[in-house]
Amino acid sequence: MSNRTAIKVSNLTHTVTSNTGNLTILKGINMEILESQSVAIVGASGSGKSTLLGLLAGLDINTSGDIFVYDQAFSALSEEKRAIIRGQYVGFVFQSFHLLPSLQAIENVMLPAELKGDKDARQKAEALLQKVGLSHRLTHYPNQLSGGEQQRVAIARAFASQPKILFADEPTGNLDEENGKLIIDLLFDLNQSQGTTLVMVTHDNELAKLCDRQLIMSSGQLTEKSL
Amino acid sequence: MMFIFRLMVRDFRSGDLLTLLAALVISVGTVTSIGLFIDRLQLSFEEQSANLLAADRLVRSDENIPLDWIQKADDLSLEQAQRTSFTTMMFAKDSLQLAQISAVTDSYPLRGAYLVDQTLFGQGQQWTQPPAVGDVWLSSRLASMLGVSIGDQVEIGEAEFNVSKFLVRDPGSTTSAFAISPRAVINHKDLAKTQVIIPGSRVRYSLLLAGNREALQEYGDWLAPQLVDGQRWRTPSQSSERVGNTISRAESFLLLAGTLAVVMSGIAMALASARFVKRHLMQVAILKTIGATPKFLSWAFLQQLSLLFCVGTLIGLAIGWGIQEIIASLLSGLMSTELPPPSINRLWLGVATGLVSMLAFCLPLVMRLIKISPLSVLQPSAKIEQNTAIIYGLGFAGMYALMCIYTKGFLLPSVMTLSIVGIGLIVGLIGVGAFKLGRRLTSGATSGWQIGLASLYRRLMPNLFQLLVFTLIIMLTLILIGVQSSLISDWQKQLPEDAPNHYIFNVQSNQIDAINQTSQALQIPHSDWYPMVRGRVIKINDENVDDLYPEGRNEPELVDRELNLTWSDQLGQGNTLLEGDFSAEGLSIEQRVAQEVGVSIGDTLTINIGGNIITLPITSVREVDWGTMQPNFYLILPKQALQDYPANFVSSLFVDDDKAQNFYKGMSNYPTVSILNVGDILKQIQTIIGQLSQAIQLVLLCILCAGGLVLLASVRSTLEERLEEGALLRVLGAKSSLVRQSIFVEFGALGFFSGVISALGAELCLYGLQVYVFNTQANWHPSLWLFGPLIGVCVILTIGVFASRKVLNVPPMHLLRDL
Repeated sequence: MSNRTAIKVSNLTHTVTSNTGNLTILKGINMEILESQSVAIVGASGSGKSTLLGLLAGLDINTSGDIFVYDQAFSALSEEKRAIIRGQYVGFVFQSFHLLPSLQAIENVMLPAELKGDKDARQKAEALLQKVGLSHRLTHYPNQLSGGEQQRVAIARAFASQPKILFADEPTGNLDEENGKLIIDLLFDLNQSQGTTLVMVTHDNELAKLCDRQLIMSSGQLTEKSL
Repeated sequence: MMFIFRLMVRDFRSGDLLTLLAALVISVGTVTSIGLFIDRLQLSFEEQSANLLAADRLVRSDENIPLDWIQKADDLSLEQAQRTSFTTMMFAKDSLQLAQISAVTDSYPLRGAYLVDQTLFGQGQQWTQPPAVGDVWLSSRLASMLGVSIGDQVEIGEAEFNVSKFLVRDPGSTTSAFAISPRAVINHKDLAKTQVIIPGSRVRYSLLLAGNREALQEYGDWLAPQLVDGQRWRTPSQSSERVGNTISRAESFLLLAGTLAVVMSGIAMALASARFVKRHLMQVAILKTIGATPKFLSWAFLQQLSLLFCVGTLIGLAIGWGIQEIIASLLSGLMSTELPPPSINRLWLGVATGLVSMLAFCLPLVMRLIKISPLSVLQPSAKIEQNTAIIYGLGFAGMYALMCIYTKGFLLPSVMTLSIVGIGLIVGLIGVGAFKLGRRLTSGATSGWQIGLASLYRRLMPNLFQLLVFTLIIMLTLILIGVQSSLISDWQKQLPEDAPNHYIFNVQSNQIDAINQTSQALQIPHSDWYPMVRGRVIKINDENVDDLYPEGRNEPELVDRELNLTWSDQLGQGNTLLEGDFSAEGLSIEQRVAQEVGVSIGDTLTINIGGNIITLPITSVREVDWGTMQPNFYLILPKQALQDYPANFVSSLFVDDDKAQNFYKGMSNYPTVSILNVGDILKQIQTIIGQLSQAIQLVLLCILCAGGLVLLASVRSTLEERLEEGALLRVLGAKSSLVRQSIFVEFGALGFFSGVISALGAELCLYGLQVYVFNTQANWHPSLWLFGPLIGVCVILTIGVFASRKVLNVPPMHLLRDL
């Protein structure tokens, strides 16, 4: 593990407007995640875990405070530039897989590399799908795959752009125990073999224990759980 | 670029892009086919009207045709012919007769053909060459009056002619309704040797022209400022007011039908675009999370839409062309004439439709897609930043622009757009009220019909939108059916089979009883007898006509020539009193000529009748339907004003073909009486009306098909939600019958409400269209109130149940996985 900072958050606050008025979801969060670290963010439903994940990945803009990804301040960037950074540094795995239904498994995995203009996108995608054990399912569409298989395709897609940071939102939330274990093994294998920083939202304590660090989100505030 | 193309191919494979492409093809195809077909019909009508004029355009003059007019026609490469008409005595053996002679050049007629025969009162055969030099063709009536037959000699002025044919119809004869003496035609080369035209002779010179539209237009524009008193420029539509009216009403209908096609196309594109956007929301959010920038996405969609526009428009144009060819070939068996080929340049209408559809309906919605927050992948409730007012505004503006392009005007599009907004408001009010009531009546209920009614309110906005679309389509369909049936019945009513086909003129009061006896003996019905006195309007409100219209340029018809004046105690057939008192001791004036000279009730006209000057106030204004074929007059005077002048009388009769010969023979006892046969023009009108009726019914059928497709698209747009709900109900243990019942009730209620609102909207629109666009009598349509809801329930129920059949037949697990 290197000592380089992958993500730095200082004084992060996020407020949303709802029918009942303004609601502050994140209240003055400070944290730092080093390169190649695996970090679990745990907490009750509605505590603000997913909101924090979205802000860290640059999917939304925080109300105040700063987020730095490899020293670049996300909050000061336009959506255009944030998208470029996402393409360069970030991979995602979602609870509900979010594969494009109109594309085959291999096409879903090729997408990030194609967006970067990589000419070897197909070969890389094939290799990744082989790695996740789906070389026999390349041309299947998402609705022809089981939940576990869909999540494996999603993991292959997440690693296709060789991201420096992988964000995972409840990656086993929709899977049975056996498939869940398979996915976790894959995530951590890839995390270690590629040196990827892993930031994972979960309320599975067993999964959280596998990470280097556990951060607990409660009422919009983040505390570190001592291991 | 290649990646974007690959994305497009993948999108196409999934069917989402295909839906959009199909909508574009339908839009372009419908508008193109109807546009081209209407163009062909218009060209055909122009051709047929040109046959009545014997040319595409005609300019007539009381003086010799100036040489520079001929030179200009040469410069524009227009085909030319000349006709010189005059009235003179014709001699044969011991008899003589006043005859209307036409001397025509070798190229006459430029359009249409003569009907000639070798036997007296024969039916005639088409003949496109004029008489040879030294020959004369006589109308059967003239020949029987002169007692000559084929091969006999007749004299016109100083020249002798050989009777070579009997003239049944002169193609240009209908343009001069008051040239009523029996007719004869000679070759123009023989004119000089007759020596009948001397200075002061009353002669009408006509220059006939034919050629392409642009050149004719240029010629007309060049000529117009040079025309003086006694000179007129005539177009085919002016050659017969009756044909002109019929065609212009049919054109209004076809224009309306085309405009409705445009509206339907707009709805189809908007629905398909909305579906495309809905299905791409999550995809765009996912693409954004993996690094697709807004700029890249904008560029990608722009390229996709551009390619879609090119491909869709090309296919649409090809299909549109094919459909109009099919319509034309279906009609070819029904029409007596062949339709001319469509103009290629009309295809731009299809291209414009494709472009405006993409720019107004598709692009704003798709560009809105790009604004979706990537956060949606974590929080599906994240909304798109949008300005719906701009999107709907652009949609409306696009539809309005298309309608304006299509109709080349603003009135019809404005009326249509306002109607749609009005219908939108009515749909909103009735829909919300009715759906809320349904919800209240069914709270906590579990039967199929209660679930169906409740879901109307649960999906309030999509259902309101769908109600609006259903209502618009059904309303447009009802309007078209209503207009076409009233148009056709109106035409048929105006042209009964026994419509008068002959005018009888120059009848002296002491001849009326004898002529009545002759016609009664032959059982020939005739209209009332109207006295006629010739007079000329010389002053309007104490101002001399010569001062009002110096140099005689662009004089209105009222002051341009001597008029036939009459008196009458009652309004004749085809006359409607617009204002004033018809029985007052003043002038009754026809509305159009009154407008031309700018006079109304209270103004005075001074008229010169045979040297006597009388001044009378205008006391009533009439609208005259000139198509009734009854004798009608611009000015009707009080009896006291005219009774001391010598008058001759006019009437109109219907003479059956098999009675014609006996009638003409009977009338030859009255050589001073003139008869004008307008049977040919009537037959022509009846043919045109027959063709038009067939054509508009076919166009209606096309529009109905397009409407059906739009309805299907509309049902499909909310199908996923319905399928999901139905699948969930079945998972929760609901029987198929309950789900089926709820679907029946939901679509049935939507159909019923849209049918009722459509009937209301159609009734209002039909009133407006009948009164303001088609100028026909407005009437109520009780059948709309029966057929509107009936069509609504039957069609929407059928389409809805057909489209939702998956929910009943497919295992719920499959459905939920697919959604």
